Order: sequence, then C-alpha cells, then structure tokens
Amino acid sequence: MLEPVSVGLKFAFLAVLYLFLLWVSRSALKDLRHGAFGGPRVATTAAPDATGMYPASSLAALEGDHDVVPRLVVESVPGLGRGMSYDVAEGATLGRGDVEIQLEDPFASSQHARLTRQGTIIVIEDLGSTNGTYLNDELLRGPQPLHAGDRVRIGDSTFTYDDGT
Amino acid sequence: MTARNRELFALIPASLLLTAGFAAVFIQRDDLLSDLSLTYGAIFLALCLAAHLVLRMTLPDADPYLFPLVAVLACFGLVMLYRLDEDFARDQAQWFVVGLIVFTVTIVALRRDHRILERYRYVIALGGIVLLLLPRLGSPVNGAYLSFSAGPISFQPAEIAKIAIVIFLASYLRDTRQVLVVGARRFAGITFPPLKHLGPLLAVWGTAMALLFVIQDLGSSVMFFGGFLALVYVATNRISFVVIGLGLFALGARVLYAVRPTIEARVDAWLNPFDPDLYEREVGGSYQIAQSIFSQADGGFFGQGFGAALVQLGDNPPLLPAAHTDLIYAVITDELGLLGAVAVLLVYLLIVQRGFKTAMLATDSFSKLLATGLTVVLALQVFVIVGGVTKLIPLTGVTLPFISYGGSSIVANFILLALLLLVSDRARREAMAT
Repeated sequence: MLEPVSVGLKFAFLAVLYLFLLWVSRSALKDLRHGAFGGPRVATTAAPDATGMYPASSLAALEGDHDVVPRLVVESVPGLGRGMSYDVAEGATLGRGDVEIQLEDPFASSQHARLTRQGTIIVIEDLGSTNGTYLNDELLRGPQPLHAGDRVRIGDSTFTYDDGT
Repeated sequence: MTARNRELFALIPASLLLTAGFAAVFIQRDDLLSDLSLTYGAIFLALCLAAHLVLRMTLPDADPYLFPLVAVLACFGLVMLYRLDEDFARDQAQWFVVGLIVFTVTIVALRRDHRILERYRYVIALGGIVLLLLPRLGSPVNGAYLSFSAGPISFQPAEIAKIAIVIFLASYLRDTRQVLVVGARRFAGITFPPLKHLGPLLAVWGTAMALLFVIQDLGSSVMFFGGFLALVYVATNRISFVVIGLGLFALGARVLYAVRPTIEARVDAWLNPFDPDLYEREVGGSYQIAQSIFSQADGGFFGQGFGAALVQLGDNPPLLPAAHTDLIYAVITDELGLLGAVAVLLVYLLIVQRGFKTAMLATDSFSKLLATGLTVVLALQVFVIVGGVTKLIPLTGVTLPFISYGGSSIVANFILLALLLLVSDRARREAMAT
C-alpha cells in the first residue's frame, strides 16, 4: 500500500545524500584551485615540495664542492657581535665548558649540543642539556639535519645556520 | 560561514538521511508510516549536536567536514543494522554513544598539544603489539585470531592497535627519516637504507610478518604494513624503500600461503567462487563471497529499496553470512544499488581527501606523518573489506569503518577521528594566522 512512499523515500535518501556530497566536494575542489595547499601559502614558503616536508634527498648541497663552508652565524649571543660566524664544516660542540663554540649563557649546559658532519650534511644533536636546544622554535628531540636558514636557540643565544652556498 | 557553522549545517542532511532511512525500513517491514523514525532522527541529531558543541568549544578551527561525513556513515550503519536485526541496531547505537564519549575524552585530554603522544611512543607501540597478541589466548574464528573476549565483552584489538602503531611510526620516522636517506647506499640499482637504521625497519617488517603468522589474518596485516610503507614513503620520498617492503611482504605472504591451508582455501574461494565444490563446502568454502556477488547484482542501478534485500529465507542458513559485519557493503549495494554504494565510497574518499589535506597543512613533521598514517590506515581498511566483498582481493574479515556492527571498531575509529581533528585544528589555525 505504502510502496510508492517507500520508493519515494529511497530516491529522496539518495538525492539528499548526493546533494550533501556535492556540497562537501565543492569545497574540496575549491581547495584544489587555491593551489596545492588550499589555504594561505605559509606552508609553501616553509617547505618546497608537494608534501610540505623538506625533501630528504636534496641535502647534497655540500657534495663535491670543497669551497663550500657551512657556518653558524650569530644572531644574538651574549658577549658576541651579531653577524660573527663559526666554521662548522668539521663539526663543533656548543656549550659553557671547554668546547669549540663557547657560550656565556647561564642557561647553557657545559656540553650543550653538538654539530657533526654526516656525509654531505650537518646534523645537530642535543647532548642531554638541562634546558634543551631549540631548532626553529621546536624542542630538538634526537638528531636533526640543518637546512640553510634554520634557527638554533640555546638559552638566550640564537644562531642561524648558513650552508655556505 | 565559519568552520563550525559549516559543520552544524552539514549535520542536518545527515540526520535527514537517518530519518528517511528508518521511515523506509518501517514501511517495508510493517507497512506502516511511523513517527518513530522522526524520533530516532531527532535523537541522532541531538547526539551529533552534542559532539558538535564539544568541537565548537575545544577545536574551533578543526576541519568542518570530517565529523558530518562520519555522521553520514554512522547513519548508514544504524539504518542497515536496524533493518537486519533490531538488537544489532540497539547495541550499535549504544556503542555510537560510547564512541562519542571516548571521542570527547580524547579531544579534551590532548587538546593543548597532541604532540605529547611522542613522549610515550615506545609505551604506545608496546601496548599495540600486546593488544594484537591477546586474541592468541582465545580460540580462532574462521581460522583467524581476531577477537579477544573478557567475560561478555569481546573486542577486536587490531582496531585499537592500528592507531597505536601509526602514532609510534609517525614519531619514530620523524626522528630518523633524514638519517635513513642520507646514509643510503646503492646496491644493484636499488637504494638501501643504512644498516644501522635498517634494523628498526626490519623489526617493523618482522612484526607484520609475525602478526601474519600469529593472527593469521591477511586483512589486518595488509592494513598495518600498507600504513607503514606509506609513512616510510612520505617520510623519505624514496620509492625504493616501498619496493623493498612490498617484496618482503609478498615473500612472507607466499610462505604463509604455502604452510596454512586456511589461507589457501580463501584464495581458492576468491579465484573460483562459483565452483560447485567450493560453493557447497561447509567450512572455508566460497558460499559467502558468491552470495555477496549475487546480492550486489540483485541491487542493480537504483537498488531494491530499504529493507527489500533478501538476507534470510525462513529458518534456512542465512543467504548472506555475516551480513552485519563483513558483508554490510553488499547489503547496502542490494538495497540502494550502484548509486548508493558509490555514494558510500565517495564519503570515504572525501574523508581521505580531508585527511591528506590536514597532513599538507600541518607544519611539524610529527603531525604531518600522524595525519597521513591515520588516513592511509582508514583508507586501506575500506579497501580491504570492500575489495574483498566485491571479489577484487580475497575476502578477509575487517570491519567497514563506522558502518559495520562492532563496538571496538566504532570506538577505535572515533579515536582516529579525534586525532585527525586535533591535528587539523592546530594546522588550520596556524595557516590562518599568517
């Protein structure tokens, strides 16, 4: 008896469903049209490739070119002038004690962080410091490679990494 | 419209769908147009609104479409289960409420910073593996160790474990992804990761293989291992790692196929479902998969209508075994036709799109990998079960997320959704601020 109603309900169900999907996918399409990232372009400037992550395989900036010297440039370090820089091509340790890059910073541990060269890249690693090392304002956990323009902060001291190219 | 207003608006069609679905089932079953369907629709809307208010207060910038899309899936699940058996639907509705509570708790607990999960990564990984091994204490169901019973409650630990393993991998790969690439050596034209860091990767491969042998379920192994490979690929951008991983997995699967007759039987049933011998075999035959294909064909383009699919004839064995879990997709196809089935797949597709979008917007590596991993695992789960039901791949019993009957599945997938929304909220807020 009520069969027409039942059939009607089925088609109404499908219609509502597809209208809903159309509405949602319209905004998905809008995202696509705004470029790979949809939203503001912040992520594109921070990281170049499509997934928004640094391409792990293109870190060969130092390869084959011996004139290239990676440096740690002082941005603001107590007792040091802005723009001074350290050659870190062979790695270096940062800290308050007897190390390559000495920091007069009450928040730095005596052996605070270490830069090591691994093949063609420089890797930064925290040496179990009390107050931690910050890479681009994110607390460093485990070894991380440095990219040109990365900011390294230890206590009140800030450096910028320059890969020399 | 702000994100949350969009979400609110999108919940209305979801509730309308539930109302229409129930009304149609009532008509088909009792020839009665009941206002009970309106009541059910209203209750469903109220529950969704409660969750919406939680989101409005805690995650104001989270993706607006994820939750309504999930609500549509839940609505499919409730209507179909009610049509199969009222008791299933009542249980499912209770689990839906429990799921929403767990969803809220997850969001409130992690809303300041979900990245604290990274600190507990080894505990989480261990918990996930222990959960996976629990079913081994019980007895196998259809040759696979999938569920664990404690008293009256039986649950499928693989559902929770998939989230634990994704969290661990996202956190682990965040630390090591660069080192995996930098020390890589080329050998015989294939790039291998450095030996020191290959260890943990081999450990994951070993775990997936061990799982395959211990729980003897290809479906969940594909889910875990696929999620792992996707994360390694996203983290390192090296297709060679994926190729190596697939090779190793194929090797393990081949060995299992050789030593386990249950797996062999499943592959046979998949290749020749209409073989009379296999079709009539009592245990491990192809009856289920063949019936699934018949019922999908019965649906045609527009479907037989709600409540019209033949699932049970009198007291005979069911025409569609496990219609409420494994074969619910076949029931949907039967009743709503190709059009309805494609709509269900579209809903999943859109959820996956929102998930990957979230991963792209996220600024820190852990959040990116987490969102990617969760999305991939969900997508693979849908692929494994829908692929099985449609005879694309051998049928294995995993649930269709948010639709199939099953408490642990609903609760686990709500945790997954909560994590995605947490990542999305932070990512979209940061993207809007600049």
